[in-house]
Amino acid sequence: MRTGVIGLILPPTFSFLEMMWRICPALAVGCTVVALVPPASPTPLLLAQLSGELGPFPGILNVISGSASLVPVLASQPGIQKVAFCGALEEGRALRRSLAGECAELGLALGTESLLLLTDTADIDSAVEGVVDAAWSDRGPGGLRLLIQESVWDEAMRRLQERMGRLRSGRGLDGAVDMGARGAAACDLVQRFVREAQSQGAQVLQAGDVPSERPFYPPTLVSNLPPASPCAQVEVPWPVVVASPFRTAKEALLVANGTPRGGSASVWSERLGQALELGYGLQVGTVWINAHGLRDPSVPTGGCKESGCSWHGGPDGLYEYLRPSGTPARLSCLSKNLNYDTFGLAVPSTLPAGPEIGPSPAPPYGLFIGGRFQAPGARSSKPIRDSSGNLHGYVAEGGAKDIRGAVEAAHQAFPGWAGQSPGARAALLWALAAALERRKSTLASRLERQGVELKAAEAEVELSARRLRAWGARVQAQGHTLQVAGLRGPVLRLREPLGVLAVVCPDEWPLLAFVSLLAPALAYGNTVVTVPSAACPLLALEVCQDMATLFPAGLANVVTGDRDHLTRCLALHQDVQAMWYFGSAQGSQFVEWASAGNLKPVWASRGCPRAWDQEAEGAGPELGLRAARTKALWLPMGD
Amino acid sequence: MSAHNRGTELDLSWISKIQVNHPAVLRRAEQIQARRTVKKEWQAAWLLKAVTFIDLTTLSGDDTSSNIQRLCYKAKYPIREDLLKALNMHDKGITTAAVCVYPARVCDAVKALKAAGCNIPVASVATGFPAGQTHLKTRLEEIRLAVEDGATEIDVVINRSLVLTGQWEGSDFIKTSTGKETVNATFPVAIVMLRAIRDFFWKTGNKIGFKPAGGIRSAKDSLAWLSLVKEELGDEWLKPELFRIGASTLLSDIERQIYHHVTGRYAAYHDLPMS
Repeated sequence: MRTGVIGLILPPTFSFLEMMWRICPALAVGCTVVALVPPASPTPLLLAQLSGELGPFPGILNVISGSASLVPVLASQPGIQKVAFCGALEEGRALRRSLAGECAELGLALGTESLLLLTDTADIDSAVEGVVDAAWSDRGPGGLRLLIQESVWDEAMRRLQERMGRLRSGRGLDGAVDMGARGAAACDLVQRFVREAQSQGAQVLQAGDVPSERPFYPPTLVSNLPPASPCAQVEVPWPVVVASPFRTAKEALLVANGTPRGGSASVWSERLGQALELGYGLQVGTVWINAHGLRDPSVPTGGCKESGCSWHGGPDGLYEYLRPSGTPARLSCLSKNLNYDTFGLAVPSTLPAGPEIGPSPAPPYGLFIGGRFQAPGARSSKPIRDSSGNLHGYVAEGGAKDIRGAVEAAHQAFPGWAGQSPGARAALLWALAAALERRKSTLASRLERQGVELKAAEAEVELSARRLRAWGARVQAQGHTLQVAGLRGPVLRLREPLGVLAVVCPDEWPLLAFVSLLAPALAYGNTVVTVPSAACPLLALEVCQDMATLFPAGLANVVTGDRDHLTRCLALHQDVQAMWYFGSAQGSQFVEWASAGNLKPVWASRGCPRAWDQEAEGAGPELGLRAARTKALWLPMGD
Repeated sequence: MSAHNRGTELDLSWISKIQVNHPAVLRRAEQIQARRTVKKEWQAAWLLKAVTFIDLTTLSGDDTSSNIQRLCYKAKYPIREDLLKALNMHDKGITTAAVCVYPARVCDAVKALKAAGCNIPVASVATGFPAGQTHLKTRLEEIRLAVEDGATEIDVVINRSLVLTGQWEGSDFIKTSTGKETVNATFPVAIVMLRAIRDFFWKTGNKIGFKPAGGIRSAKDSLAWLSLVKEELGDEWLKPELFRIGASTLLSDIERQIYHHVTGRYAAYHDLPMS
């Protein structure tokens, strides 16, 4: 069902078409929109006029023209259910921090840079046209990082320089220009960038027929920029192209994926196999093969990593403005006095009140990291009590070092797991389901000690096994092709794994919730670091005994300990790609705040309980949507 | 004509390394028509320039000395005198680049041009035009006879069977096609040819000319062709020695546009002299 009121924040560089692409899907699913646009640009005023013409439905589209200082005001309005922000990275980050714990959801679409990968089997002249489309025209949103294979470096540079010389810049309405101007602010930004690059020793080439007045800036080609210089780390502004060489396709992927940005990229190669290999390997939201900048409203457009994870266009664009039916409108749980610096920092000590009475329990479980049980760094364990207060067992207390080790192990296991075919992944999940059923009596008896009736406990174990099987089967259906008007050739909507997924399980349903969260994450190719239920982690650890024999090392890692402390470590970790948190309201707020570090997508429960045994909430399509990310792969055809 | 192509050793590896991505070339072809529109007096100037590139052509089965004579006169006076006077271009010697006829009509053409007092070259199609499927001996004899009659340029039809088996010849100009095919001069093909000309120039220093022919009928198209050559090769190629447009009805459309620019009205069919 639809989300409600959307607050949309648009940057000054957007064209009318791009604004429409974000507003129309929201209106189409039934949301109403309040758009905050920057002052002093004519395009938003056209938007405002348009909204005025919506006579029969006044108020569905509202336009406010105001400066950036109004952004937090709009975002914290009580009636807004979702804030969609499009703009620069740092502002997006600040907004993420300030909206932590607020009533509204946040979607970010950041950055304007794109990438062009030119191999030695490309049609270089056409690739040069692609560069013009990407950076030296009015169609491209920002600058371009250009990666050229070393063997064709000289040829490519020569053609680029020739082509640059023929570009004309001028007022947009003159029929014979290639590019216009984008305002004084953009001009300042690019001047700073170019000066900085020159002082770092880069070669800067500018050409073209450009007026010398202020807001006009000539097309610029920067080469020999040392990779370690600060210029090479920040986003490339319009109209700059930063060119760097690479030797092999493998190196190209490393260089291309070696930035925090993940917007869009194009691959130029006439060898189909190589082009697809590179296209699949790039960590971006959109890949064009032998083309650049193609767009269509039916194709999802978005990014990953620090380009934000919100989408527009296609089915993903619609999901942005929808939430699962039955879920309540967001509750505000802002805790104004939540101290982000001290949350989860110190681990409360768990010294026993008095000597333990009763039979000595089994030796303490370790942490399940890298495919085996190991002792925690802090060398301490804490007791777990059952529903009658007796000692049920000891579990290890994990800390920051253990989290670090777990994330490393998960990263090591990731390439192998993501490279498995869906059938192989399904087979492993089915094997785990069978192992769970063999272990039913042990698991059921542990659940009984936690106060669950025997029948219900057995049902829980069976349901867990069923869920594993269901997700294994579901993942067989991979991406599908979209039909794009005006393009000959397919556009694939791929569903790719996120990477390493951190999951903090809820206290209730210690077995079912654990399995319900693990299954979709693994099914879609992610590797997982889990913090199991704090009340009874023993069930998760029982499952780990089977995972130790069945799963590759590092695929699923389970770390027990103080939930807040471990949450803190995971949320602040820069190399965790996404986080699911089902703990307290305060923890949710912290997780949302901390995710601003690497802008990882988070899914937090805000302290609301979830009916894990119901299909809709425990195994619904929402889990599948959140467990993977989309990539649009364009394949124009023709010979 | 520019200096003859001195030729180079045939190096087929140049050809095998070339990659052409068809969809990308199609996209560029669409853009080129939309992004360089000229208006008003600049358009008039470009149109007059386009006239100087035309190889005014008549290649019909029923050509006789009378229509050849009319054609040659039109080549000497392509635009009506008073229109040129209004643009102050009447004394710049604006003629078409050449006249292009069948070998049997070369004599007539030379005679007509002499009578008109015009020294533009006569180009002849030869070598079994348009199919090229005649004996080598007769093809060479055709060229010799045409040159004897006074033709100074020859449009040679290459032997396509040799092409398809990889046996290549050299030339001073490359032409898109005979003009008698179903699909003739299109922008995507031209883009690839122009890029090849530029690459050849970078590799050897030889400048090869380019001639699109067939299907160029409107003045707007001709402007697009001019801007394509300007963008891909530069101003050096915008000379009759390196660029020709093979056309017959194009000239009248250009004349109509000039008429409209000068008078502000649209001409009737009979207002402008036939070619």
